[in-house]
Amino acid sequence: MSSSLTCSRLTLFTVAAIAFQIIGLSFFVFGFFPVKPALSGDSGSESFRAPTCYSMGNESERDLPPYELQSLYQELSGIPPLFDRLILMVIDGLPAEFVLGKDERPPIKALMEAMPYTQSLLANGIAKGYHAKAAPPTVTMPRLKAMVSGAIGGFLDVAFNFNTQALLDDNLLGQFSKLGWKMVMCGDETWLKLFPGFFMRHDGVSSFFVKDTVEVDKNVSRHLSYELSKNDWSLLILHYLGLDHVGHTGGRNSPLMAPKLMEMDEVVKMIHAGAIMNPDDKKRTLLVVVSDHGMTENGNHGGSSYEETDSLLLFIGPKSHATDFPSIISNDVNQVDIAPTLALLFGVPIPKNNVGVMIPGVIDSLKDMQQLRALQLNSWQLLRLLQKQVPGFPCGSFPCDGFSGDQGYNSVDIMEKFCRLFLRAAVLHDSWISTELSRSDSREDKSGIIAAYYEFLINANQWLSHKATDKPSTVIVFGVMSMILSFLIFSTAIYSIIQEIYSGEKQLSNGIFTRHLDEGFSLYVIFILVISMGSSSMVEEEQYIWHYLISTLNMLLLRKTVQFFEKESTCSVLTLFSGRERVCIRASSIFTLLITGRILRGWHQGGVNWTHLPDISKWLEQSGTDLQLIQLTAVILTIILSLFSLSVLGRRMKIVLVVGFNFLMSGLLVLYHIVKYQHNASLPSSNAAISLAQIIYATLGVSTVGSVLAVPWIMPIQISKACSSHRNHKSAVSHPFKIGSQSQYPELRYSLYIIGWVYIGSWCLLQSLLQQPVNSVVTLLILMQIFASFLFFSQGMLQQKQWVEVAVLYYIGMAGHFALGNSNSLATVDVAGAFIGISNYSALFSGILMFIITYASPTLLLLSMVMYISIKNQDIAPSSQNVDSGYVLKRILGLPSLVPLTINSILLIAYTIVLILMRNHLFVWSVFSPKYLYACATTVCILIGVFIVATTVTYAYMVLALRKKYERLHE
Amino acid sequence: MEMEKKEMGCKSSTPISVTEAFFLHLICALGLALAFWIARYIYSTDLISDPSRTLFLILVVECPIVILLYSRYRTDRHQCSYLKAVARGLLGLPAGVIINAFGAIVLGAPIGAQYFLKTLNWSLVMSSFNIVPSACVFGSSWRDWQRLYAYTKPNGTIDHMICIPAHGAIIGAWFGAWPMPLDWERPWQEWPICVSYGAILGYSIAMVASLVFSHPRGLHHVKRD
Repeated sequence: MSSSLTCSRLTLFTVAAIAFQIIGLSFFVFGFFPVKPALSGDSGSESFRAPTCYSMGNESERDLPPYELQSLYQELSGIPPLFDRLILMVIDGLPAEFVLGKDERPPIKALMEAMPYTQSLLANGIAKGYHAKAAPPTVTMPRLKAMVSGAIGGFLDVAFNFNTQALLDDNLLGQFSKLGWKMVMCGDETWLKLFPGFFMRHDGVSSFFVKDTVEVDKNVSRHLSYELSKNDWSLLILHYLGLDHVGHTGGRNSPLMAPKLMEMDEVVKMIHAGAIMNPDDKKRTLLVVVSDHGMTENGNHGGSSYEETDSLLLFIGPKSHATDFPSIISNDVNQVDIAPTLALLFGVPIPKNNVGVMIPGVIDSLKDMQQLRALQLNSWQLLRLLQKQVPGFPCGSFPCDGFSGDQGYNSVDIMEKFCRLFLRAAVLHDSWISTELSRSDSREDKSGIIAAYYEFLINANQWLSHKATDKPSTVIVFGVMSMILSFLIFSTAIYSIIQEIYSGEKQLSNGIFTRHLDEGFSLYVIFILVISMGSSSMVEEEQYIWHYLISTLNMLLLRKTVQFFEKESTCSVLTLFSGRERVCIRASSIFTLLITGRILRGWHQGGVNWTHLPDISKWLEQSGTDLQLIQLTAVILTIILSLFSLSVLGRRMKIVLVVGFNFLMSGLLVLYHIVKYQHNASLPSSNAAISLAQIIYATLGVSTVGSVLAVPWIMPIQISKACSSHRNHKSAVSHPFKIGSQSQYPELRYSLYIIGWVYIGSWCLLQSLLQQPVNSVVTLLILMQIFASFLFFSQGMLQQKQWVEVAVLYYIGMAGHFALGNSNSLATVDVAGAFIGISNYSALFSGILMFIITYASPTLLLLSMVMYISIKNQDIAPSSQNVDSGYVLKRILGLPSLVPLTINSILLIAYTIVLILMRNHLFVWSVFSPKYLYACATTVCILIGVFIVATTVTYAYMVLALRKKYERLHE
Repeated sequence: MEMEKKEMGCKSSTPISVTEAFFLHLICALGLALAFWIARYIYSTDLISDPSRTLFLILVVECPIVILLYSRYRTDRHQCSYLKAVARGLLGLPAGVIINAFGAIVLGAPIGAQYFLKTLNWSLVMSSFNIVPSACVFGSSWRDWQRLYAYTKPNGTIDHMICIPAHGAIIGAWFGAWPMPLDWERPWQEWPICVSYGAILGYSIAMVASLVFSHPRGLHHVKRD
């Protein structure tokens, strides 16, 4: 026993390895993903002076009353504000293509006609339209932050999208409020969370009733005429969510899209006519219409495709600007450019961490000197940020005096480049100022200076945006090392267990190639996955890899099964069905696995590049089939299949009846919910639906926890005599699920079977409730795969290595994950389902529901491990009475929990290394980082699943051992 | 060309020599080359522009060669005449189509009316690579089939000649499918073009390999030739 691990030591090692993994992962994540290299504090009057070495804390400035501060700013900047008040209208999810067209082409006719007023404003040059490229991740909160602060958000902002917190960095709203602006907000309550206490009046609507496309906008527009008639505000924010909801429910080409655009057009018309063109109003008003992000063909967003990042920016002022240079200026800008542009238009300091560049063409009505001054302010601000980010960047009012022309490397190179660009612009500007008085027409000079400034600004903007990928290497190395250490512990543990189990069976194997092809291939699967993760298109199309590999593995298992037709030389169909039942069961279950696997792959055409190809779910939705009928059939079949698999235990046991009845009741509740609410668009979020869903959650939760806790206590303990008499009935073996007949621990295996069944059944019912209707069939198919593979594994006539079987289950889970329509893009996370049965917004609950929906399949397969343990371990028959409980637990629990942990650990390390290698790849933020977030979430899912399995099995074993001991004492 | 082959086959006894195996493979390979030549210069098409017709041409040229050649080496020559072996080779063709098409579809080949001909022709060619030769030689002898395909334990020259190219075609096709999901936007990434290329390449390599494996002296022979 010196070489083998004891159970407690194994547990200790595993827990230590998990701890190392978590520590390493968190170190890596926080080291790798950009934490904004931010300047602290807010910009003040110093932003109107040239950058210096030492920050001059202007304490006195803070005490200034707002109007004095405003005049101070105006005096220092030299640019009079062009407008007095701002209306910021955010249309969530509107692609710029809908308004401005794409590639010089106007948008399609139906969309043009849906927005007649806006289009006429654009045609007259009153409105200026831009394609404002949003940075990924294209979800609302990071985009709002980018718009008001001009800073590139960290990637981890996505993770906090459902837990919005106040924006503490320097931003436009903060600057406005320093000037004493009164603000009003109607619309998405994300604003209220970002800027608590900023708004004088507000009406927040929530973005989580995704199916509501009408009320959510009515609640914004109902305040509009009142607010427009009031004259007390300087900033009015309107955030319309309806269009995003239309996209989420119906996609880009939803029939609701044109009416929604028409509604938005009405709002623009009302504001333009009522506030901007109102002659009674002395205030000059600017209307800025923006969208935070676009949407894909299916109406999702989150990724970095053109469709998602193509967001709209419209400046609508009182008079036409179209006189000066209408056609020279490209209308492609970045979303971060909004912040400095608005700051300069309204005469406030540019936010400190802004990386944006003033949008050309919006300040044409200013004098030449003022236009150059605006560019100078923008350049100074970016120069300050550069000084912070480039180590050793010289400071001072003319920071680049020291550079003449000597060549340097790396940061010196960058420094020199920016210095040269900045100096050129600054020198030109200075000479222009000094000779300005003596000149009358200086247009050519001016455009030269503007070009020089823009060269600096755009270069600085690009460099600063890329700067976000700079990583602290020691933290990352430590994280990777810690993960590798955890992998080493896992693999040592798994190796020692396999050695111990199979030490006696070595001599059976003859010829590695023929006997162990399936084992070799299951290792090869991991290898292929690791290799393929280096290619961005393979990451995008990962579902194909999983399906291809799992099908190939199944075919190899089929080949292995065919080897067992050999025993009888006169093989015919008749003998196969009478005598060779097991081979037939094995073969048919493999065929079931193969065919269901193919259907699962065809269900959703996932990924990125081939989503346009036809698939079953699209076909079902387009052909007008009654989805409700399909969903009902699938759920009923799921219930029947589950009950059937329970009934093979024998109907005489009372526990089976009780558990089955419980399950049937929950199933009927789910069916009732589907019939009554899910296909009824008119009352998607009624109270009755919510409470019914809550009842279902409660029923499933209580019955699951109750059965897990109670079953080991009430399971009748068989006396060993009964057990031995069972042994004589060899016929029992023929029944596929007949279990417990040969074991010393029939009651343990019975209880594990029931508990595992309860886990599987409850999870499937929960998924039927939460998943999209079309996915209910997918749940059924995955359930069929599970039972088919159990059937296959239960015919234990092959020397099938147990770790291969666990690995196969794990692979099925991952293939099912993609079959449910998931992909490695954040856009496919099903948000709509995450609010079923939640009455008031809770980030925690909807986050949990989203996780449950997304990781339905891997979790299901992990939970099925309990049942697998019960089916598999028929030969755990320790001879002595004083059997070491640790030994039994290690035998039954070791591989089912260690194999998923180890595989996941390998994949996680591989993704980590790929991410490090690809850090300068073009797709690092759009492809590899989302994939890594998924890998992290998968790790969490595996850890939770394995924890549940291990705890359940240990609990059941302990309770039964206790009861046995007690009964033995009383015998 | 086929007539020459027949004459050569007649002279040999049942356990065939490596030289004979070499010529058999050579003729199969030449048949493949001939099929490509016909496709290119007579029908002016190729695998990329018209995969189903090219595959059909390959089948028309290759399948008779395979059936006629392999039928000479039938194992049970006492009970089975040459014609009977040819007949079971012809029967093996549709059976192999079903098996190969099932395998391809299960592994993810697209289903649909526009793919029907492509899948059918591809399966026909694959069948003439793997199932048809075995059907000609072994007939319905389950034990031999199992030895070759379930255990992969070829025993003797004729086993090597059948087993290794058949596996080569399958493994080649398996690897040939890997570029399909990539976003290179090349015309040959379509089903079944790169899979066919993989299969043919694998088949050709495996023919050479089977000679090397079939006899210790095989290596020598091949090199000299």
